[in-house]
Amino acid sequence: MIRADLRQGVRSGLVLGVVVVSLLFLGATTTLSTLIGEGLGVSPPAGLVILLLLLTLWIGAQSARGAHHAELPILQAAIRGAVAGLSAGLIIGLTTYVLIAIHDTGADLRTYLFQVSPAALDLWSMERTPVTAALFHLGISTAGCLLGVAVYRLFRAARARWTLTGRLASARASLAQRTGGFKRNQWTNFALYVLVAAILFITPQRLNNYQNFTLGTVGIYVLMGLGLNIVVGLAGLLDLGYVVFFAVGAYTAALLTAPTPHNLMWNFWLVAPIGIILAAVIGVLLGIPVLRLRGDYLAIVTLGFGEIIRVLLKAESLAGFSNGPRGIPSIGQPSVFGQPFNSDRDFLYMIIVGVVIVIFLTFRLQESRVGRAWIAIREDETVARAMGINTLSAKLLAFGVGAAFAGLGGVLYASRSQFVGPDDFVLMVSINVLAVVIVGGMASVPGVIAGAFVLKGLPEILRELEAYRILAFGALLVVMMILRPEGIIPSRRRRLEMHETEASEEPSLAAAPAAEAGGAP
Amino acid sequence: MGEPVLPLHARKRITPYQIAQIVLGVGFLVFLGWRLYTVIVVEGAYGPDTWLKFAISGLIIGSVYALITIGYTLVYAILRMINFAHSEVFMVGAFAGFFVFEALKSIMVGDEPRIPFIDAQPLLSIVLAFLAGIAASTITGVALERLAYRPLRRAPRLVPLISAVGASIFLQNAAQLMFGPQRRTYYNLPSLDRNLGWTLEVAGKPVLITYTGVFTFVLAILLLVSLNLIVQRTRLGRAMRAVSEDKPTAALMGIDVDAVISRTFAISGVLAGSAGVMWGLHYGQIHSFVGFIPGIKAFTAAVLGGIGNIPGAMLGAMTLGLIESMGPGGLGMDFQLKDVIAFSILVLVLVFRPSGLLGEVLSQEKL
Repeated sequence: MIRADLRQGVRSGLVLGVVVVSLLFLGATTTLSTLIGEGLGVSPPAGLVILLLLLTLWIGAQSARGAHHAELPILQAAIRGAVAGLSAGLIIGLTTYVLIAIHDTGADLRTYLFQVSPAALDLWSMERTPVTAALFHLGISTAGCLLGVAVYRLFRAARARWTLTGRLASARASLAQRTGGFKRNQWTNFALYVLVAAILFITPQRLNNYQNFTLGTVGIYVLMGLGLNIVVGLAGLLDLGYVVFFAVGAYTAALLTAPTPHNLMWNFWLVAPIGIILAAVIGVLLGIPVLRLRGDYLAIVTLGFGEIIRVLLKAESLAGFSNGPRGIPSIGQPSVFGQPFNSDRDFLYMIIVGVVIVIFLTFRLQESRVGRAWIAIREDETVARAMGINTLSAKLLAFGVGAAFAGLGGVLYASRSQFVGPDDFVLMVSINVLAVVIVGGMASVPGVIAGAFVLKGLPEILRELEAYRILAFGALLVVMMILRPEGIIPSRRRRLEMHETEASEEPSLAAAPAAEAGGAP
Repeated sequence: MGEPVLPLHARKRITPYQIAQIVLGVGFLVFLGWRLYTVIVVEGAYGPDTWLKFAISGLIIGSVYALITIGYTLVYAILRMINFAHSEVFMVGAFAGFFVFEALKSIMVGDEPRIPFIDAQPLLSIVLAFLAGIAASTITGVALERLAYRPLRRAPRLVPLISAVGASIFLQNAAQLMFGPQRRTYYNLPSLDRNLGWTLEVAGKPVLITYTGVFTFVLAILLLVSLNLIVQRTRLGRAMRAVSEDKPTAALMGIDVDAVISRTFAISGVLAGSAGVMWGLHYGQIHSFVGFIPGIKAFTAAVLGGIGNIPGAMLGAMTLGLIESMGPGGLGMDFQLKDVIAFSILVLVLVFRPSGLLGEVLSQEKL
């Protein structure tokens, strides 16, 4: 028995040690301790101690948790916590000792570990000597883990009532109760629409240029997210080259309205539909050869398309057509009745109108025959085909519609920033849009909007964490897939689906989602 | 009796998909023939020595691709999932080897004049670098499986794939933040210099075959042969094949499926790690996104050879390496566009022969 405890403890300790050392190497300890220090009004070293305590508390609590939420004897839990703390402390302490020892020889650690600057190291070691700093970290992690065990024991009874899903479910139930007497009919709906329209109209007037610009970026991502939502969320086709359609829209607008390289200078209002249609056509054309492929193959082929378009746009040999790596400057902007209509606010209005149209289309498509065909394909392609759905044309339509939305996003993006270059259309754009859809909730329009605000809006607020944005994206994708694969605001069908296996296999866990589903009428 | 009511061999209807296939195929072949004819016969742009150079570099890059490709193929064969983060496993190995070299460079040994360890013991240094690269990659691969894929074993198919994409982005950017955005240059061992080699005389012109190139090629072949032996001859290999056939039945036969999957990731890690160090030794430069392009190419090679098929993976990787290095020359294209050629091959293979060179069709929905 003691052996199992030791193993469990060492395992938790390893996780803690690796997490803390990675945070140190990533430079995140300095940033986070400064943030915590500022937030609580204490000095950065105190912030560091708080950060470390939080992490160790968490691991301590984890290590004290028995399998399947069973109660562990207090001694066993304490052994686990102590072993976890000690092993983590050994890793952290040793790393600290080695780093400071190397630093003291006069070598510059930053040559190899980019983020470990002397200042960061001073904060980390609390300006102590190597040995005392190592002992300090050993002590803090052991103490933190033991504390974590104690805290876990104390709050264990209260935990059940405090889980997030449980609280969400109860909140939803109470909300449903309160609004139960309120009947929706034609007139209340109309009033609601007018209210939303008024808010959407007034908000941009009240904001400054920077805020309008940021909201516009979020809006473009909502557009693209809704487009990809049709492809990935509804039809279940994982497209990692979605940036292609965005690029087609943007480059169409750029080539047709800019003075270089072709000097066509067409009117924006003429070019916008061309860009959208062209993107849709390219979507269908690219779809024809690849749509027979299984999900994962489709993903990698579309990824290949995304890379091809970037390489082609960047190629010197095609510079006569696309201006190559230099990009296209002075892209035309729209005007209304001879008046320029090109401030960030005006573009925000255009983007809002685009988003509203796209949301309307999505809702109509989703409930239509085609939309149900998409969902059927996502669930089981073979069965869908057996039911008489023409899977090929349904998939092509999904690709085309999704591409059209991205094309609209591209046209607005190019015209708003007045410059496009091949570096605007990298793989990360596809991944960002995918993250918007996944994090928000697949096949859920409110989810996609929430996802765009969380992923594109939050980083604007958390400026200090800018360097960690993409890193956090990656981690967020993994964590979401493990903890909440259905997204922040899932569609109801998706939510039930994702917890289907759990419901049938682990009755203890099924209670929460089932209650949730029952709570929403 | 006349015609049967239902003909046993009803004439197959030609689908629009097949028409598209034929049109694409014929067009592509005509274009290919025309370009090859113009470049090779009419223009005669390159002599035999240049073609030999292209072929040699193709074989070398092909052998590196082969090591990475095996990682994709093994994991695909067992889990039916594309391990997107495999290219980062490769990158981690390359960095581990780099750091070992840097550390050995700063350790001074011997009597006066004291020389760096790496110059005193080049062979031992290389072995240490490979061991470190292999260890780092193996740990990364196994940890990936444990943290990002195992919890999702029973989830819908899209879920582990997205998790893999997330893990890949995470590792790339973590490496960039930790080790800095700049390119790193592997230490150029005097005894295994990147720019030296044997010289062949072809058509009156010298063709250089670098030592590192030969080293990479030979080592890769050795690793691939031993891998094939492991899969075909050992108990673990038999268990792996059983798990790839049918997981539940394998479990009933007393195979610990999770352990086999974990070991598969470990083997992929070993190969990717050694590929990473080889990349460093031969090409010299690494950075945090070094794995991305070789990763996609290796996947292309896996598809080209028939995914899930080990000899196919090797063949596909070598073929891809050769096409990629000789293609731009043969088609008279810009060398910048060599990645486009590789990706076009991926698309073409999936359209015309989804089973790859060797192997069964897995890419299309069946069952």
